[in-house]
Amino acid sequence: MDDHQTQDLVKELVHRLLSAAESGGDGGGGGGGGGGRDAGGALRFAHRLLSSRLAPAVLPDEHALAESIKRRLAASGRPDDALTFADLHSKLSARSRPASLWPLLYLLDSLSSHRRAAAAASCLPNLPTAAPPRNATSGAAAGAGGKRAHGAAPGGVVLVSKDPDNIREIALREYTELVLDETEVSEAALVRDVLYACQGIDGRYVRYDKAGDAYNLPDGVRVPRSTRTLVRKLCELGWLFRKVRGFISDNISRSPSDAATEVGTVAQAFCSALQEELSDYYKLLAVLESYSLNPIPTPGSDSGVSGYYLSLRRLAVWLAEPAVRMRLMAVLVDGCRGLRGGAMAGAIHGHAQHGDPMFQEFMGRLLRRVCSPLFEMVRSWVLEGELEDVFAEFFIVGQPVKAESLWREGYLIQSDMLPAFISPVLAQRILRTGKSINFLRVCCDDSGWADAAAEAAAYVGTTTSRGGLGYGETDALEALVVEAAKRIDRHLMDVIHKRYRFKDHCLAIKRYLLLGQGDFVQYLMDVVGPELSEPANRISSFQLAGLLETAIRASNAQYDDRDILDRIKVKMMDHGDGDRGWDVFSLEYDARVPLDTVFTASVMKMYLKVFNFLWKLKRVDHSLTGVWKTMKPNCIVSSPFYKEGTSIRAQFVSVLRKCQVLFNEMNHFVTNFQYYIMFEVLEVSWARFSDEMDAAKDLDDLLLAHDKYLNSILEKALLGERSQGLLRNLFELFDIILQFRSHADRWFERIYELQLRGKGKPKSKSKESGSWLDGGRKAMIQLAGELFRKMGEDLDSIAKDYTASLDAFITQLPMQQHVDLKFLLFRLDFTEYYSRVSASK
Amino acid sequence: MPREIITIQVGQCGNQIGMEFWKQLCLEHGIGKDGLLEDFATQGGDRKDVFFYQADDQHFIPRSLLIDLEPRVINGIQNSEYRNLYNHENIFVAEHGGGAGNNWASGYHQGEQVVDDIMDMVDREADGSDSLEGFVLCHSIAGGTGSGMGSYLLETLNDRYSKKLVQTYSVFPNQMETSDVVVQPYNSLLTLKRLTLNADCVVVLDNTALNRIAVERLHLSNPTFAQTNSLVSTVMSASTTTLRYPGYMNNDLVGLLASLIPTPRCHFLMTGYTPLTVERQVNMIRKTTVLDVMRRLLQTKNIMVSSYARTKEASQAKYISILNIIQGEVDPTQVHESLQRIRERKLVNFIDWAPASIQVALSRKSPYVQTTHRVSGLMLANHTSIRHLFSKCLGQYEKLRKKQAFLDNYRKFPMFADNDLSEFDESREIIESLVDEYKACESPDYIKWGMEQDTGEANVAAALDSKLVV
Repeated sequence: MDDHQTQDLVKELVHRLLSAAESGGDGGGGGGGGGGRDAGGALRFAHRLLSSRLAPAVLPDEHALAESIKRRLAASGRPDDALTFADLHSKLSARSRPASLWPLLYLLDSLSSHRRAAAAASCLPNLPTAAPPRNATSGAAAGAGGKRAHGAAPGGVVLVSKDPDNIREIALREYTELVLDETEVSEAALVRDVLYACQGIDGRYVRYDKAGDAYNLPDGVRVPRSTRTLVRKLCELGWLFRKVRGFISDNISRSPSDAATEVGTVAQAFCSALQEELSDYYKLLAVLESYSLNPIPTPGSDSGVSGYYLSLRRLAVWLAEPAVRMRLMAVLVDGCRGLRGGAMAGAIHGHAQHGDPMFQEFMGRLLRRVCSPLFEMVRSWVLEGELEDVFAEFFIVGQPVKAESLWREGYLIQSDMLPAFISPVLAQRILRTGKSINFLRVCCDDSGWADAAAEAAAYVGTTTSRGGLGYGETDALEALVVEAAKRIDRHLMDVIHKRYRFKDHCLAIKRYLLLGQGDFVQYLMDVVGPELSEPANRISSFQLAGLLETAIRASNAQYDDRDILDRIKVKMMDHGDGDRGWDVFSLEYDARVPLDTVFTASVMKMYLKVFNFLWKLKRVDHSLTGVWKTMKPNCIVSSPFYKEGTSIRAQFVSVLRKCQVLFNEMNHFVTNFQYYIMFEVLEVSWARFSDEMDAAKDLDDLLLAHDKYLNSILEKALLGERSQGLLRNLFELFDIILQFRSHADRWFERIYELQLRGKGKPKSKSKESGSWLDGGRKAMIQLAGELFRKMGEDLDSIAKDYTASLDAFITQLPMQQHVDLKFLLFRLDFTEYYSRVSASK
Repeated sequence: MPREIITIQVGQCGNQIGMEFWKQLCLEHGIGKDGLLEDFATQGGDRKDVFFYQADDQHFIPRSLLIDLEPRVINGIQNSEYRNLYNHENIFVAEHGGGAGNNWASGYHQGEQVVDDIMDMVDREADGSDSLEGFVLCHSIAGGTGSGMGSYLLETLNDRYSKKLVQTYSVFPNQMETSDVVVQPYNSLLTLKRLTLNADCVVVLDNTALNRIAVERLHLSNPTFAQTNSLVSTVMSASTTTLRYPGYMNNDLVGLLASLIPTPRCHFLMTGYTPLTVERQVNMIRKTTVLDVMRRLLQTKNIMVSSYARTKEASQAKYISILNIIQGEVDPTQVHESLQRIRERKLVNFIDWAPASIQVALSRKSPYVQTTHRVSGLMLANHTSIRHLFSKCLGQYEKLRKKQAFLDNYRKFPMFADNDLSEFDESREIIESLVDEYKACESPDYIKWGMEQDTGEANVAAALDSKLVV
């Protein structure tokens, strides 16, 4: 009670009440005599009352109180009111602090019960006025407030309600005057102005203020602050409307030629949808305008006036919902500015994720319109492969490319144009389906896809005509896309496999480029071998092409399809100085449209790499077998040197053994490397590829499978990035082996030459024993001794080089990342010979 | 330019197994009994021109020479359904038709006399091929014609076609039963010398083991020659599949042999085959995976050479090389697994002095021959235990020689005239040293073998020398 403001207020209340009671006439005659005393006494009484610490003898249980009120209302036959009360109470308790609610409720309850009790008892209103002091002094005042049945109640409050007409009238009048004092513009005018503003038109008072970017009452106009606020609030709608309308007119009212280049169909659809929404809004405004003609009743005169009038407050109610909608539109408009096509639809969709059903319904309506051009594009893309996208709105863009790269580069997804309601997976599928159609049309020259598309459309149940789909039917869209994709992909796979015999070509590549057709490779090696030993710049690829043809004719390749054979070509790679034919010769396979989508130039380059590697390996293998052939058993075992004298025989045996052992080691390496290449690399990769090829449902799968196949070959055949060191090492080994071959050729040529020289004698043996010791034979033996010594030295040095390189190779092998290289080690060291050798070191 | 192979079948046994071989090839390539391609044989992929060539009327003719000194077997062929298959110019039957009387010396001598006629035929065939790979000789080493004449042909071929491969399929006599050919040990020894010196590769077909397999594996109580011969033809055709069905590797004989025969003298190969069936016999169908096949191939009971080794020596026997030719629908990924298993279980014992491994060749199976099993396998192996076979031959020879038995038959012929039996001694030396070399291969020091031993070896050489000088 130390609060001055409260005291003043109480004082003013007491004065007002008492003075009003006096001026109210003799109604309060009982207490009228003691007016002056009463005022002082009442004030004191009020003070005491307020400062007393007495609390009503009830628990401040708000819930119980509310329940009892409800029960009472229901019991008195007003269930509606009970419901209303419950509703109000719950709303109120949600907003205010619980502590502040109970007293209020208690007060209202007390008042109503008091009024009821008074009505029931037909008590005179002035009766209790005298009572309070007595009551208060008796000290039971507070308790009395709680008990409704008591005839006496605190009078101060009741006084107001007990004198309704007069006081209300007066208060209202005063208020009106007060308002009029502060207002120089009538509310009706303001209402009209606000309505104007809501249509984006400046009114008499309310104008668009450019500086503040808002509709506003100029400062000069004198209106109460609350009114001003209200007007501003209402005018927000106008501001929003302006914005939306501005956007629409920006997009629509351009010159047609302009629009063709600038505004996309999605934007057009968006604008038209907005306009439709606005027309509803216009209707509302028209109605409101008609209402606004009804005069606004002055406060207090609540009878005889039409209910359909518009005050600012009523307007606020009317405009609340449109404002929400308009705000949403404005937000959308803001969000969509600068966006187009799919991006725009996506932006709008972003706002549609809202819990409010009204929002949802509104956004759904809008999006259906906005998305229809987009969905139409999807439909025609998926079913017809047409990219009807004049305004670059679709999330798929086409690029002019050559037929071979149509699939890989021809069409792309623009992720920023992809609305969120189309998932990336679906988008991929959409992209692929249309791409498949275009691929079929352009590369495969096929028209069977149309049937597939029609079938898909029929299956899904949507017509293939336009406009079958809309927003919210994403499921339907997905179903359509999935069905179309399924059928078109199947058709494409059919075309690729059946008409373009994909597998046959893959097999052909495996046979010819990956050397699977052993006999062909052998003949080719035989016939081009001499040619390739020439310097690279002296080789005519024309001649090689002829030799290739020879090899084809000579081998089982001749039974292959002519179409396939025609695609095998000799390719000479760029050569530098000192390159031999071996370094530049390779084969290539002309895949042709449409298979060049799979076998692109870069893919063929990889095949080339593999071919060169395998060709080199074969060449090494070929040379090694050549060595074996020159020292094959029946040439060696029956060699006359076996029959010669001890020393030369021992020399011969020793050098031969060295040669054989070295050969065996090299051969072991090369053979097992080839077995590794065949089983672990080529066949296994092929087996996997073949499975995946059969399982592939669309071209992407197929491309992926093929890429995997090729990469696995490259990786495992040491051609990958990671095994470059190993590969260098391997080539070193190959070089040593080739060196060995050329040495061996020379040695054995010489040996056989010497044998021939010594020949004739053993044949004619026993008879001419004397000639055994002639000079020719001695010279031969000497030469042979010399040769064997030299041969032994050369062999030692080659063997040393070889062992060093092989060691390096084998020790490097386990360090490789690739798991399959372990298989190589396993093969090379099957008997753990190398492990033993390195362990014993 | 197929790598042609000319088959020369000599003697009774040679012609019999040769005929079975050609029957099998015809079957596998879809070639009818008259040499014409069957209507169903449209699936390409096989290479017929290695073993056949086409006449003007398109019918396929085997690159084959049929040689015998007595007409019985060849007449049989000429009266059979296959009479039109062969080129009649390639059939040689001695005019007198008396055969060689199971005498190596007779066969050898007769060979010497008719060699021009035969070499004319060989030359003609060789000229008819683009890039001749070599010759395959089918014969037995025990009789007269196959062994004696075969030996002479081997020497001639080695001389005339020294750059071409010479492979033989040599049938070793059944040593479990008493043979009607008493001089068998002599014949075998003399032939073995030529096989050692003049052949590049000898596939040993041991009648003893073939009989054993027929009895034990095929449950035939009394196997006929026809039945054992069908085993032989199976082996022969299987060992040539990689040549006839080209793949990534092993497309020519030289490549095949190069990795099987690292040292020139040890060129005697054993074979094993699984699963075995004989014609018209419904065998029980077994599960055939690559591992099963490879494991079974390593079991001695499936190997077509009998090992006479005592257990102690058997445990020391080592593989110099192995090539498994697997036919049928094989998942290539299984190969590695199988090899791994075999290594883990230590099922193979390889030489210590050089790296070695089991080579596996996958080959297609003829689409025209129906078998009950999915996968079949042939093993070609260079195994040191084969020396026991030679030792056995040597032992039998020694027994006979000590008694000086039956030598008169040989002395009738120039080579052994004037009681010159040095040919026997020389042959014995060579076989002994072959046995020694195989034995040496079992030790890790093989690389140095023959050089430390110089003294002993030199003595032999010196002995030879001295003999030659005399």
